Amino acid sequence: MSTLLSDGVIHVSDKCKACDHCTSICPTHAIKGRLGEKHHIEVRKCINCGQCLINCPFGAIDDVSMVDERIIKALKDPSKFVVVQEAPAVRVALGEEFGQAPGTNVKHKMYAALRRLGFDKVYDTEFTADLTITEEGTELICRVFNDLGVPGYEAFGPLPQFTSCCPAWVKYAEDKYPQVLPHISTAKSPQQMFGAVSKTYLAEKLGIDPASIYSVSVMPCTAKKYECDRPEFIASGFKDVDAVMTTRELAQMIKAAGIDFMSLEDEQADRFIGASTGAATIFGATGGVMEAALRTAYEVLSGETLDKVDFKAVRGFKPVREATVEIPVKALGGKVLPVNICIVTGTKYVDDVIEDVLAGRSQYHFIEVMNCPGGCVNGGGQPIRRDTY
Amino acid sequence: MSEDVIKGKVLKHDTQTRTMHWIHLLAFLILGITGIGFYWDIAGIANIFGGPANSSLVHRWTGVVFTVAPILYILLNFDRFSRFVDTITSFSKDDFAWLKTMGGYVPFIKVEEVPPQEKYNAGQKILGILIIIGCLLIILTGFPMWLWRDVVAPATLALCYNIHFWTAIIMILLVLGHFFLAAIHPKSRVEFSSMMLDGYIDAQITAEHNAKWFAELQKTE
Ligand code: HEM
Ligand code: SF4
Ligand code: SF4
Ligand code: SF4
Repeated sequence: MSTLLSDGVIHVSDKCKACDHCTSICPTHAIKGRLGEKHHIEVRKCINCGQCLINCPFGAIDDVSMVDERIIKALKDPSKFVVVQEAPAVRVALGEEFGQAPGTNVKHKMYAALRRLGFDKVYDTEFTADLTITEEGTELICRVFNDLGVPGYEAFGPLPQFTSCCPAWVKYAEDKYPQVLPHISTAKSPQQMFGAVSKTYLAEKLGIDPASIYSVSVMPCTAKKYECDRPEFIASGFKDVDAVMTTRELAQMIKAAGIDFMSLEDEQADRFIGASTGAATIFGATGGVMEAALRTAYEVLSGETLDKVDFKAVRGFKPVREATVEIPVKALGGKVLPVNICIVTGTKYVDDVIEDVLAGRSQYHFIEVMNCPGGCVNGGGQPIRRDTY
Repeated sequence: MSEDVIKGKVLKHDTQTRTMHWIHLLAFLILGITGIGFYWDIAGIANIFGGPANSSLVHRWTGVVFTVAPILYILLNFDRFSRFVDTITSFSKDDFAWLKTMGGYVPFIKVEEVPPQEKYNAGQKILGILIIIGCLLIILTGFPMWLWRDVVAPATLALCYNIHFWTAIIMILLVLGHFFLAAIHPKSRVEFSSMMLDGYIDAQITAEHNAKWFAELQKTE
């Protein structure tokens, strides 16, 4: 039985130099200790985001690894059919570990490397990111209809709707604002959707017993390790995702296997259904989920296909940003429905937004919350930068 | 070198200089001891100061004393300080010659005659320069480590720690050497009282060790 849920993913090691930098980074004030005193993390408050880890000047914070205990073991086990998914933010950061400039997209080499490491099928989270977006977009429409009193939508939750794909944010809401939970989208995160699909649809399509499928994900995120071990993610009768490794850990595995990453021939991901819309590629940046789900909602509600998506107003780097999108709703005779959206980047900025929602003051319909500054590209599982500015 | 015995004493360091030196010395000791306690995680040291967090508080506020004392001194004694800086930064032929003989301090370097020196010999000049640079480095890294620890980039903070630590180690070694020469070595321990006690030093010794300065003193008298 894993202790991830009870002990948390992130721990301070005794390399801690007591510099106290991390306490200002932590969005939940989970790190205790004064300058000069070794620091420690209060598990109860920690949301496993790993921001302290990638910002510790002395590399004194570690995340629990599933590589040896789970992933390598499964790869060596001939009875396991090991599939792997990689989140969009991984491909633009993995190259940094091999001397590439940040942002270089190395996905084709990444697919090749994963095959060298022994994964039986190499898929891409982009596909289920599309599913998440569709789910969240559709759910938003249903909540809007419920809010407008349209009959048949009474079962849907209240507005505003919060996104659910960031497990750090979800744990924060659970820990601190349980009253806000009905507002959080019921859609699984792309990682968990992929896991579920791999044990159901994929097993069926490949003709493999779902019990022998081992589902691994490569994530820019340490909170995803916590998410994958949550007990509720077993709807298919099997654990959706069996193990998670971070971008850093994938780089370590590639290096440990002696693979010369940069000279690998480009390869493609295995496909198991249609093509990705490309909407998911912007998942890694803040505003990505929001933009994509809104596009879905717009198309469904207005019946018009937007060939050019222009929600640029929601992009940027200030922690809380908002925008209004006017949607002509076909079902309401073309009545224009203004949808107010908000993006919160950084869990530490979400409190005011939540207080407004709980007090009934919020004007928003849809709120995206991503824990990490700039989104998953700067997640706690990404390569550690050593810039001095 | 004069064979005559010169009677009397000369004032080498006045009250303010000696006070500043004492304060700086004590602050340095506390900073060095607490700092070493941090680096090597020595519980015994931290506990003397009331545990790691309090030890750090002592370190930082002593750091304030360590910074403010010389600044006050310089502001109150600007002329004296400029002369000091002038002296320690100008190296003459005699200074280089002195360095070649190592001032006669090293037993296995045979020395006929040590070249005449100013108020500070070439070795003391170098020490003075190194101490000033060292203090600047340690102060300019110490305060960011304290006050800007939240805002600076992690790598910058790590760099500050490295500079702070290595400067501290070099300074501690320099100060140990300085202590040995100024308080223990039989040839120079007479200097001890001129800084640590009343400020005076034997005129005869000065005439021998700091001939140029002594000549100047006699001119102005
Ligand atoms: C002048 C002002 C100074 C300030 C503001 C200052 C401040 C600091 C701070 C904030 C730390 C971080 C660790 C902690 O507080 O627990 C530190 C560590 C340290 N300091 Fe200072 N300090 C000063 C002077 C000195 C001096 C003069 C010395 C040596 C004689 C010294 C030696 C050290 C050492 C060895 C460490 C441990 C470094 C490490 O862990 O890598 N400091 N100092
Ligand atoms: S940032 Fe790292 S070294 Fe500094 S106090 Fe936190 S854990 Fe310790
Ligand atoms: S992982 Fe995130 S929430 Fe947990 S201590 Fe670190 S910064 Fe805080
Ligand atoms: S923002 Fe992305 S990387 Fe950061 S905790 Fe959330 S899901 Fe993980």
